[in-house]
Amino acid sequence: MIRAEGASLIYHDHGREVAACRDIHLTVRPGEFLGILGPSGSGKSSLLYLLCGLKIPTHGRVLFDGRDLAAMADDERSRLRLGEFGFVFQQPYLVGYLSALENVLTAGGGRTDPDHALGLLDRLGLAEKAHRLPHELSGGERQRVCVARALYGRPRVVFADEPTAALDRRNGEQVVRLMNECRDGGALVMVTHDEHMLEEADRIVRLDDGEILSVEPREGRWREAGISNGIFREPDPLR
Amino acid sequence: MPSFRKRLPRPLSPITYLVRNPGKTVPLTAVILLAVLLIAGVVAIMDSIPYSIRTIYGYSRLLLFAGPRGESQLTQEIVERFQRQKEVPVERIAVVRAAPTVVRSIVGKWPFAIIGFEQKDLAYALGRMGTRRLEGRLPKQGMAEAVVSEPVARNRGLKIGSVLMSPDDTDNFSPFPVKVVGIAQSDEWFMFADKDYIRGNHFPPIDVVLAFAPTLEDQVRLGAWARSEFKGERVQLLSFYEVERDAKEMFRILYAILNVVIGILVSVIALMVAMLMNIHQGQRLVEFGLLQALGHTRRRLLARSLTEASLLVVVGWILGVALSFGLLATFKAILLDPQAFAMQLWNPQAMAYTVAVPAVVLLVACGTVVWRFRRFDPVGIVERRLV
Repeated sequence: MIRAEGASLIYHDHGREVAACRDIHLTVRPGEFLGILGPSGSGKSSLLYLLCGLKIPTHGRVLFDGRDLAAMADDERSRLRLGEFGFVFQQPYLVGYLSALENVLTAGGGRTDPDHALGLLDRLGLAEKAHRLPHELSGGERQRVCVARALYGRPRVVFADEPTAALDRRNGEQVVRLMNECRDGGALVMVTHDEHMLEEADRIVRLDDGEILSVEPREGRWREAGISNGIFREPDPLR
Repeated sequence: MPSFRKRLPRPLSPITYLVRNPGKTVPLTAVILLAVLLIAGVVAIMDSIPYSIRTIYGYSRLLLFAGPRGESQLTQEIVERFQRQKEVPVERIAVVRAAPTVVRSIVGKWPFAIIGFEQKDLAYALGRMGTRRLEGRLPKQGMAEAVVSEPVARNRGLKIGSVLMSPDDTDNFSPFPVKVVGIAQSDEWFMFADKDYIRGNHFPPIDVVLAFAPTLEDQVRLGAWARSEFKGERVQLLSFYEVERDAKEMFRILYAILNVVIGILVSVIALMVAMLMNIHQGQRLVEFGLLQALGHTRRRLLARSLTEASLLVVVGWILGVALSFGLLATFKAILLDPQAFAMQLWNPQAMAYTVAVPAVVLLVACGTVVWRFRRFDPVGIVERRLV
């Protein structure tokens, strides 16, 4: 579905080359929970932004369904993100003057299905607070609204960039669990520096200094989750 | 589960933002509203001065003054030349005497003439001025009496029996108290008296010719003919043409100054409002960054921002125009009308001046928004580098 082929992201910082990601070969497959793990500054977020098209690789390429994201126009990449992807960011960013439900409706490629949005909020335990404004919600609740927003458009991939960083352990675990439970067959790519949050992941990509150190399948979890697309019975062509 | 379809507005509609953020949108609208009010008010009041000139001396549309200049014996010759000419029909020629008096305007006292007609011409003159009804009677021959129009009566606070001119009134001097014996219901401003009284008691001792053409179009043509006919001669002409020309000349410099002042005012207000809009846009960076990261196109977000700015500016302008209209109507009704001071409530020129405010504000606001979006990186926002 998403394939990075030798993707690198090189910044120029005051004349000095800084590689946020270097020669990344990675595939994100339908339905999988892919964890990207690494210490702070290892390039985890940059890799996530490359995979979702928010950043364009300076070398190599990233393909979605065989189409090079770099070859798409800016608006086309935007539409792709809105229609096919869902996002949960490190901070629980919500539009301050919209209710939780309205915030959920801002995603999803122009479709307006309040009942579906409310259903998601209900599954995330926020049905009673659907009409509250963000400042009336706790940090954990706001992040759950973000999860509902990410899932609202029934995305093929949910990208989560350190979604638990601003939460305590209990709230963090709850958000990851809910995100994993509610994704309805969509893939989940989650960046974190806390391995504990990737207990449910099917594969973990370890990253350091912008390079992939390892890709570890977690077959047990995969089977436990009941997803049977046989990803780990086939050899990964790139890793 | 209840359906919320009907209750929900479109979350990203510009209206939603404007309505949900009154703390930001109301002050901006209010600034635009006040700017429009200020400019509309200033221009309307400034415009009321030339408008007053046209109103007070508007009766000159209906007649043509032709008086000898420095040689009183020329009057008869002027009459004969009017009678001889065949170019423009002349309905009536009246030989009158005039005396100086004043009326009050919004900017002080203005000179006005009380015209002394022969008895045979008085009724015609009143009719010519569009008199619908005469309250009281016409002045009698040789008597210190006058008939004034309703606006003059209102302006000077006169009723039947009031003294229009008197020996102890330096502005409205007459050796005998001239009483108002009639008030003519007409929209024109005029004061008519008996010619014999004016001739016997007032300076200058010059008979003036009033020429009346049958229609307003003919009156304009008669004025043009007279300007050509008496060019370079010792004849002074006065018609609406001269009133218009002098008013334009008088206010040319004033309007040039007004344009500069309003230009500066518009610039200051526009910059101020644009700065406020810029601050508000800056406060919404997270929202724009978030929505762009989620996949809303830059073009769509830009269009939304521009629509919000346009709505704000247009609503501010409409409210400003409405409030200006209301306040000027109140001002006119309470302060101006009782004294017959003229002011145009619906003044296209004042409205045209106010358009500059929303236009410049919109231009600067849109420029700011476009500039911001051009340099915008949503990743910087969601990574908290730009917050």
